[in-house]
Amino acid sequence: MSRHTLLIANRGEIAMRILRACIALGHDFACVYTSADEQSGHVRLARDLGGPGRLFRISSYQDPSEMLAVADAANATAVHPGYGFFAEDYRFARRVVERKRPLIFIGPSWAVVRDLGDKINTKRIARAHLVPTIPGSDRPIYDEMEAVELAQTIFAFQHDQGIDEGCVLVKASAGGGGMGIEEVYDADTFRSVYRRIRNYAKRNLSDEGVLIEQRIFDFNHLEVQVLAERGGKNAVHLGTRNCSVQSLGRQKRIEVAPGFDPASLDYAFDAAGVLSAITRHSVHMALAVGYDNVGTWEWIVTPRGEPFLMEVNTRIQVENGVSGITARIRGRADCEQGVDVIAEQIRLGLGEPLGYAQQDISLAGVGIEYRILAEDPADRFTPCLGRIEAFGWKPEPWLQVFTQVPPLEHGQEPYEIPMDFDPNLALGIVWGENLDQARSRGVEFLNGLTLEGTDTRGEPLRTNVAFLLSRTQTILHF
Amino acid sequence: MDIDKRTRELAARLTYIRDIFGQRENASVALLRTRLEEFLEQAPHLGMRELPLQVARLEELFALLEGKLEGELSPMDRVRIVRHPQRICLKDILENVYDNYTEIGGQDEWSIDPGIIIARATIARRMGKKTVHQSVMVVGQEKGHGQEFRNAGSIKPWGNANALYYMRVAEIENIPIHTYVFTPGAFPVEDYPGAAQQIAKNLYVMSGLKVPIISVFSEGGSGGAEAIALADRRLMLSHGYYSVISPEGAAAIEGGLKDKATPELIERCAERLRITAADNLELGFIDRVIQEPPLGARPEHYDFFRQLRREVIRATDEVVDAVEGLGPLRGMAIRRQARSADPQDIFVRWSLGQAARTKLVDRRHEKYRAMSRTACRDNRSLGARIASGLEGLLWAAHSTLRHDFLARYKRRLLGLLEAAEAELRALRQGLDGPLGRLLGLGAGQQRRMEVPPEALERLVSLSCPEDCPCRLEDTWVYVSPKSREDRTQTCPNSSTHGCLDLWGPDLFGEFAGVCSHCGHHFPLEFQWYLYNVFDFASAFEFNRELESRNPLDYEGFDLKLEQAKCQTGLGCSCITFETRIEGIATIVAVLASPFRGGTVGAAEGEKLIRAAERAMLKRTPLILYSHGTAGIRIQEGTCGVIQMPRVTMAVRRYIEAGGLYLVLYDTNSYAGPVASFLGCSPYQFAVRSSNIGFAGPGVIRETTGVDVPPKYHRAFSALSRGHIQGIWDRRDIKKNLHQALLTMGGKNLYYR
Amino acid sequence: MLNVKEMLDELNASPYEEIEIRTPHTGVVDFVGLAPGDRVAGPSGKWLERPGTLLANLTREKNKKSICATQKGQVMDIQTALEGRFVEAGERLMTIRHFLSKEEVIGRILKKALHLFCAPERAKYYFVPEIDAKIKAGGEQSVKVREGLDMFIVSRMKRETALSYTGPQGIIYAVYFQQGDNVDGGQPLIGVCPENQLTLIQDVVNRVHGEWEERD
Repeated sequence: MSRHTLLIANRGEIAMRILRACIALGHDFACVYTSADEQSGHVRLARDLGGPGRLFRISSYQDPSEMLAVADAANATAVHPGYGFFAEDYRFARRVVERKRPLIFIGPSWAVVRDLGDKINTKRIARAHLVPTIPGSDRPIYDEMEAVELAQTIFAFQHDQGIDEGCVLVKASAGGGGMGIEEVYDADTFRSVYRRIRNYAKRNLSDEGVLIEQRIFDFNHLEVQVLAERGGKNAVHLGTRNCSVQSLGRQKRIEVAPGFDPASLDYAFDAAGVLSAITRHSVHMALAVGYDNVGTWEWIVTPRGEPFLMEVNTRIQVENGVSGITARIRGRADCEQGVDVIAEQIRLGLGEPLGYAQQDISLAGVGIEYRILAEDPADRFTPCLGRIEAFGWKPEPWLQVFTQVPPLEHGQEPYEIPMDFDPNLALGIVWGENLDQARSRGVEFLNGLTLEGTDTRGEPLRTNVAFLLSRTQTILHF
Repeated sequence: MDIDKRTRELAARLTYIRDIFGQRENASVALLRTRLEEFLEQAPHLGMRELPLQVARLEELFALLEGKLEGELSPMDRVRIVRHPQRICLKDILENVYDNYTEIGGQDEWSIDPGIIIARATIARRMGKKTVHQSVMVVGQEKGHGQEFRNAGSIKPWGNANALYYMRVAEIENIPIHTYVFTPGAFPVEDYPGAAQQIAKNLYVMSGLKVPIISVFSEGGSGGAEAIALADRRLMLSHGYYSVISPEGAAAIEGGLKDKATPELIERCAERLRITAADNLELGFIDRVIQEPPLGARPEHYDFFRQLRREVIRATDEVVDAVEGLGPLRGMAIRRQARSADPQDIFVRWSLGQAARTKLVDRRHEKYRAMSRTACRDNRSLGARIASGLEGLLWAAHSTLRHDFLARYKRRLLGLLEAAEAELRALRQGLDGPLGRLLGLGAGQQRRMEVPPEALERLVSLSCPEDCPCRLEDTWVYVSPKSREDRTQTCPNSSTHGCLDLWGPDLFGEFAGVCSHCGHHFPLEFQWYLYNVFDFASAFEFNRELESRNPLDYEGFDLKLEQAKCQTGLGCSCITFETRIEGIATIVAVLASPFRGGTVGAAEGEKLIRAAERAMLKRTPLILYSHGTAGIRIQEGTCGVIQMPRVTMAVRRYIEAGGLYLVLYDTNSYAGPVASFLGCSPYQFAVRSSNIGFAGPGVIRETTGVDVPPKYHRAFSALSRGHIQGIWDRRDIKKNLHQALLTMGGKNLYYR
Repeated sequence: MLNVKEMLDELNASPYEEIEIRTPHTGVVDFVGLAPGDRVAGPSGKWLERPGTLLANLTREKNKKSICATQKGQVMDIQTALEGRFVEAGERLMTIRHFLSKEEVIGRILKKALHLFCAPERAKYYFVPEIDAKIKAGGEQSVKVREGLDMFIVSRMKRETALSYTGPQGIIYAVYFQQGDNVDGGQPLIGVCPENQLTLIQDVVNRVHGEWEERD
C-alpha cells in the first residue's frame, strides 16, 4: 500500500477523526484552519501529531481554491471532504479529479454525487430500480390539469388506505430549505395552493415546476450505512440506525443503531421485515448505480410499516460511529470493538478492495449516539454562545466521545465556542448488549458529564443534555 | 462705401481664409497677406483718388485668389469651414430663405435644448396676382455663430424628442418639413429619452411620416445628423461634410485612443472617409449639391440664400410632383427648372391627398432600399440570384394563399367544430346536473373514492420510463473553449458581493459563464448562443454569400477585412438564418462581435434588410441578437451611416406588416446600430451584465467633459431609464424567447 | 465638555496609523519592486473607481490577483523573504504608514464626542432594511434615531434577532461597522449626535479644518 498525504478539507470533530484514522492507516495529512479556529481541537491535534508544513491557515472553509492551493503546497495526493462544506459538492469532486494535478477524492465519484445529490433524480433512479419511494410525482409538473389529477389520486389513495385526514405536499421543484412548500388537506383548496406555489417558483426560482407528493405524518427516520468499493462492483451495509429524535429545525439529536429493536419492543408491523427490506433495497440500489464509497440511504417508515426512500447522502455522516460501534467484521482484528467507518472510507477511497462480504459482517448490541450542543431546547433550540470552563467525562470501555473541546478543568484557560459554526460540543456514543443496557449506560454517561460555562451574557451556559436525557427512555418506540 | 469699412472687411476675409487653411503654408494666402499689409502701410500716404482704386484692386485680387483657393480646399478645410463661427446658421436661413417664421421650439437659451431650432415658416409664392403663403415646418440644429449655449449644434436626447414631436405635428397639419443639418454629432448622454434610443425613435417615425421631408446638409455628423435627416430629397451645401464620424474621432480610433492624434493623421482620415458633398453625391447618398460662394457661404452672401430658397422650393415641388401627379405643364416646368426660371412662379400645392401620402412613404422606402447596393459584395452567381428572386415570388404567393386565404376558412371550420363539441358537453353536464338527477339519469349520489389501479401505479412507479432516470440539466451543445483551461477566474463583483474564485471548466462549462454567486455574466462566444439558443446546427443560413468590401477604398482596410474574414470564417459581422425555437419557425440575425467589433456596414445592412423582408414574406418572427456591436463601420463612411435609416425602414415595414421584431443585446452594443434598427424595436431585452449606450465612457468624457459613473451603460441602468424592456439570464434565454414568441408581436405571425 | 485642543495635540504626537497589508487568501506572492520609503496612493476617481498603487500580486490556482493600496501612505517595511513563496491566508506582507487626513481626524475626535451605541455581544450586525435603504439613499446623517427604534438585525450562528436602539434621540453621525462582518461585544456600532449638539460638532469640524495639517 502506497503512502498518501490526505488534505483534510474540514474542521472540528470530523477533521480530528479523519486525522486520527489517517495516522492509524499509516498515511500523512495536511490540515487547514481559519483565523476563527485558532484554538479549535483539530488545530491543536494537528500541531501535536504533525510536523511542520502540515497545518495551513486559509481564508475560508468554503473556498475550493483555497483547499486545492493548500493541497498543492502540501503535496497532497488525496482530499477528504468530511461532512458539510464540499462533501456533497459534485463540482468540487469533479474539479479535484479533473484538474491538471489530479487528486483522489475520498468519496464517491463525482457523477454519482451529482446524480444522487438531487432529490428528484434520486427518486427517479430509485423507481427505475423498483425501490419504494413516497407516492407522488417523480418529476416537476408544469401542467395544472396534470397536477390536479395527481393530487386527486393521492387523496383517493389515502382514503382507500384508511387514512382519515389525507394530506398532499406541494413544493417547488427548484426550491429548498423549506421555502416554496405547502401542505394541502383537501382537494378543493389544492388548485389555489398549486397556483401560489407555481407563481412563487416562477418568480423566485425561474422554474415553475412543482412536485406533488403524499404527506406522511408521524414517520420514523431510518438510515442504512452502505460501504462500497471503487468501481462499484461490491457493496455491503453496516445495518440500520434510527434518527427520529430531532430538534425543532429537524436536526438530529439522538441516533440509535439498529433502526428498530423487535427483540425488546413491540411494533404494529413487522419491524424485522422492514429492516431487512431497506438494507436489501439500499445495497441493491448502490450496486445498480455503481456507488463507490461510503454513503447513507435515508428512509422514512410510516406508522403502517411502509418504508420509502427519501434521499441518499453521498458522504460520511456525523452519526457513522453509532453504526460502526454495533458492527463486527469476521477476520478483522481491528474491528472487534466496532468498525471505524471513516478509516474504511479512506481505505476504499484510495482504491483498496472491500475485502469482506455481507456474511462476514455481524451486528451486535445497541449503540446510542448523543449530540451535545450549546443550545436551549426550551427556546426553540437557539444556539448559545460563550465559553466553557469545565468539560470532562469518565472514560468507559463502552463509551466513545468525539469532541473538539479539550478536556478542561476549573482554573484552566476556558474554551471559547467559535461563533461562525454550529455550537457542537461533543458526540457521545455508548454501546450496550441490549437496549436496556445501552439506555442505562447512556443515562450514566449524560449524568456523569462535567460541562460548565457561561454564555456571552454571563449566565450559565445552556446545553441540551436534559433534553437528551428525557428522550433516552423513549428511543426506538414507535 | 467708406474705405475704412472696406479694408476692415478685407482684413476679416483674410482672417477667415487663414482660419480655414489652418497651419498650412499657401502661396496665395501669403500673397494676400503681404498685399494687404503693404496696402495698410501705404494707405495713410495715398490720396483720396488713389485709395478707392487700390482698395478695388485689392478686392479684385481677393476675389480672384479666393476662387483659386477654393480649388485647393482639402476635405479637412471644409470641416473647418462648416465649423467656423462665420458659417451661415439656421437663424440666417430662417431670416433670408423664408418669408416669415415663428420659433416654436423655445427661444435662445430658454429652450429645452437651445441647440435645436424648430420653427413654423412660410414661403410666399405667386399665383397670378395672388400671393399664396405656403407653410413648412423647419427643424434644424443651430450653431449660433459661436453662442456657447447652443452647444455647437450637438443635440441632447430631449432636443431630438422635441424635434420629432413637431415633425408629427407637421404630419397632422399636412405641411412639408424642411430640416437643416448643422451638427457635429449627438450629445452622448443616456438620460431619458437617451441619445441612441431617441435617434432610433426619430428614424423609425420619420421613415413613415406622410409629408414631404427635405433635408439640407451643412455639417452632417453621424447619428446626430440622422436624427433629422431621413428625407425624400437630401440636398447638400457644396462646402459641407457628411460623415460617419468626425475626422478627429476617426484619427483617434486609427491611431489608438491613447494619444492625441496628429493633425496629419486627421487630414488623412478626412480624405479617406470621403465626406465632401461631391463624394456623397457620387456615392448616391444625397440628391443634389447647392453651390456655395467660394470658401463657403457666410451670412452676407445674399445671393446664396436666394439660391438656397429656389433649391428647397424646387426639391419640395419635385417630391410632391412625384407622388401627386401635377398637371402636365407644371410637371414639365418643374423638371426643367434646373435651367429655367424661378420655381416660385409655378404654383404647387404642398399638401398631399390620401393616396399620395401613402405613395410618398413607399417612394421613400424605395429610395433608401436602393442606396449603397454596390457597397457590399454579392458572391452569388447570376443563376442563384434569379432563383432567389423567383423563390421570393413563390413565397409571397404561398404566404398569401396559406396564411390569408386558407387560414381564414380553416379557422372558420374549426370554430364550428369547437362550438358543436361545446354544445354536446353542455348537454351531458345538464344530464349530470339537477335536471339529470331529477330524471334519474347519470351516476349515483355518493362519490366513490376508488382509485383505478393504473392511476395508483402512476403514483409509485417511474414516470416516462423511456427517458433516462437522470435528468441531465445544464448540458450545453456548445461549450466555450475557455472551459478547457485549468485555472480560476475572479468575478468582477467579488469585492462587493464576496464571490469566490470560479474554476474555469465550471464557469465556462456548466455555469454558462455566469458567476454562481452574484449572477455576473462573463462574456461568451457568439457560437454559444448560435448552438445553445438558436439551434444553429439544424438552422438554414441564407445570404451567406453577401460579404463586406471596402467601398471607399479606405487605405489599409482591405487587409484588415481579409484578416477578419480569415479569423472568424465569416463574410461580414452579420449572420442570418432560419431556425426553430421550441418548434416555432423564426428568422434570426446575429451581429457577431469578433468580426471587426460587430460593426455594421453595407453588407450587414443589406443582410438585415433581406432578413426582415424574408421574415415578412414567411410570416415568422424576426429576432436580432446583438452579440456585440461597436457601431457603424467607420471605414465604410457614409455607406455605413446610411444603413441606419435603411435597416430601420425595413424593420418598420416588417413591424407594420404585423410581425414580431425582438432585439436581444449582449456584451457591448453601442452607437449607430443602437441608435437605429436596434433601438427602434418595441421589444428590446438584454442579457445580464451587458452594456448598452450611444457612446462609451471615454467618448463621453471627451465630448462632454463629464465623467460617467462606472456602471452608466449597464443593462440595469438602461432598464431603469426605460431603454430596454427586460434583462434575461443567459441560461434562460431560450425559455424567455419562447415565452416572448407566445406573448408578443403583431397579427401576421403564422402561428397566431 | 470636549477638549478638542488636547485631543488634537494627542493626535499630533502620532499623526499616522500603520496599516498592515495581509494576504486575503493563500497563494504565491510576488512583490512589484516597491521598497521601504516608497509612497503609495489610495483609490482615486470620483467613485473611487481607480484602484490604488499596486503593492503585490498573489497567484492562486493560476489566477493572478493584484493587492492594491487602500490608503495613501509610505511603505515602512516589506517581507521580501516571502517573494515567490506560497503563503497562508492573513500573512503580513508589508506595513504602510498612513498620515491621517482631516476627515479621519474629525472621525476620531467625534468618536469621543458622539453617543456611541455599542454591540452587546459578538455577532454579525446588519441594519434593518428600512434604515439600510435610507442610509443608501441619503447618507448616514439622514437617519434619525430614538429610544426603542428597531435598528439592527443581529446574526449569530445563522439565527437572527432584532436589536433596538437605546440612548439619546439624534441623528446617526457615523457608522463604525461593516455590515456582515463580525463585531466584538462592546465595539461601537454607530455614533449618534443629539440635535442640540450639532453646533459642537460643527465646531470640531471647523477647528480640525483650521488646525490640522495634512501630511503625505
